[in-house]
Amino acid sequence: MASYTKAAQQWATFGRAWYLLDAKMQPPGKIAAATVMRLEGKHKPIYHALNDCGDHVVIINTRHIAFSGNKWEQKVYSSHTGYPGGFKQVTATQLHLKDPTAIVKLTVYRMLPKNLQRRTMMQRLHLFPEDVIPEDIQKNLLQEIPQPRAVPKRLDEYTPEEIAAFPRVWTPPKDFRWK
Amino acid sequence: MVVLSAARWIRSRLTDRFWRKQEVLKYARHFRGRKNRCYKLAVRSVRRAFVKSTKARAEKKKFLRALWITRIGAASLEHGLKYPVFISNLVKSQVELNRKVLADLAIYEPKTFKSLAALAQRRRQEGFLAALGDGKEPEGIFSRIVRHHY
Repeated sequence: MASYTKAAQQWATFGRAWYLLDAKMQPPGKIAAATVMRLEGKHKPIYHALNDCGDHVVIINTRHIAFSGNKWEQKVYSSHTGYPGGFKQVTATQLHLKDPTAIVKLTVYRMLPKNLQRRTMMQRLHLFPEDVIPEDIQKNLLQEIPQPRAVPKRLDEYTPEEIAAFPRVWTPPKDFRWK
Repeated sequence: MVVLSAARWIRSRLTDRFWRKQEVLKYARHFRGRKNRCYKLAVRSVRRAFVKSTKARAEKKKFLRALWITRIGAASLEHGLKYPVFISNLVKSQVELNRKVLADLAIYEPKTFKSLAALAQRRRQEGFLAALGDGKEPEGIFSRIVRHHY
């Protein structure tokens, strides 16, 4: 029931929410795409660049992210210390071993828009290598973001009933041998 | 006896120079630096400001349309639809609401927007049934096209 007196009432529309995202067995690029949407505030119909409507995102299990392909060996993260001879190139594996949150942090940082709001949005991102979260952050959490990738189950994670119930195309005869 | 020629020997001097400069400076008062005070610098800045304001009118339309699209996309994702799906199915159902109105509805009339999203979803399902079915006319009522004769 809209009316002129009720037009200014906002309830908690401009409140900042805290979201949780589990990065276990997820590709860091898709994780970053989901978090960047929330950090910018583009998941809200009241979005505007000047509105400061971004939310907080807490990412857990960053140690267990999963690159597809051979990226653990082939992806290279480069940096320069500023001094001569200070060009450093590190593979994703080496960087991940040195700091388990660095890959997700760099991915999110590079996906955010390259403006002055980027640093503020990075301050609203909270990364944890395992699923241990401090109490005060845990109390703020509102909702969990669904995982971008459906994690497949290994054969030994299926129960025998599910394996038996799965339809078979053909059953080999008892004396069958692959050539 | 009227002497008309004497008046012509007095040369007239410019008396309203102050107000001529004020006409330009009044548009520069909110600028930064000396160009909000000094006429010679202000003339250049004011002219550039007017040119930029003229050219920005076309850009404003593009910017606002992009903003409406972002907002509509965000609101339709809350209801489980993506923006292209939502818009295409609304158009196919002959709902000719423009993006400005849809964005305002998404903010101020959430229940109305929810019903529009449900309409688009239903039309989408009817489209799938029509494509995957026998090729006969689809049974759903939302895919029927109404022709108005004015």
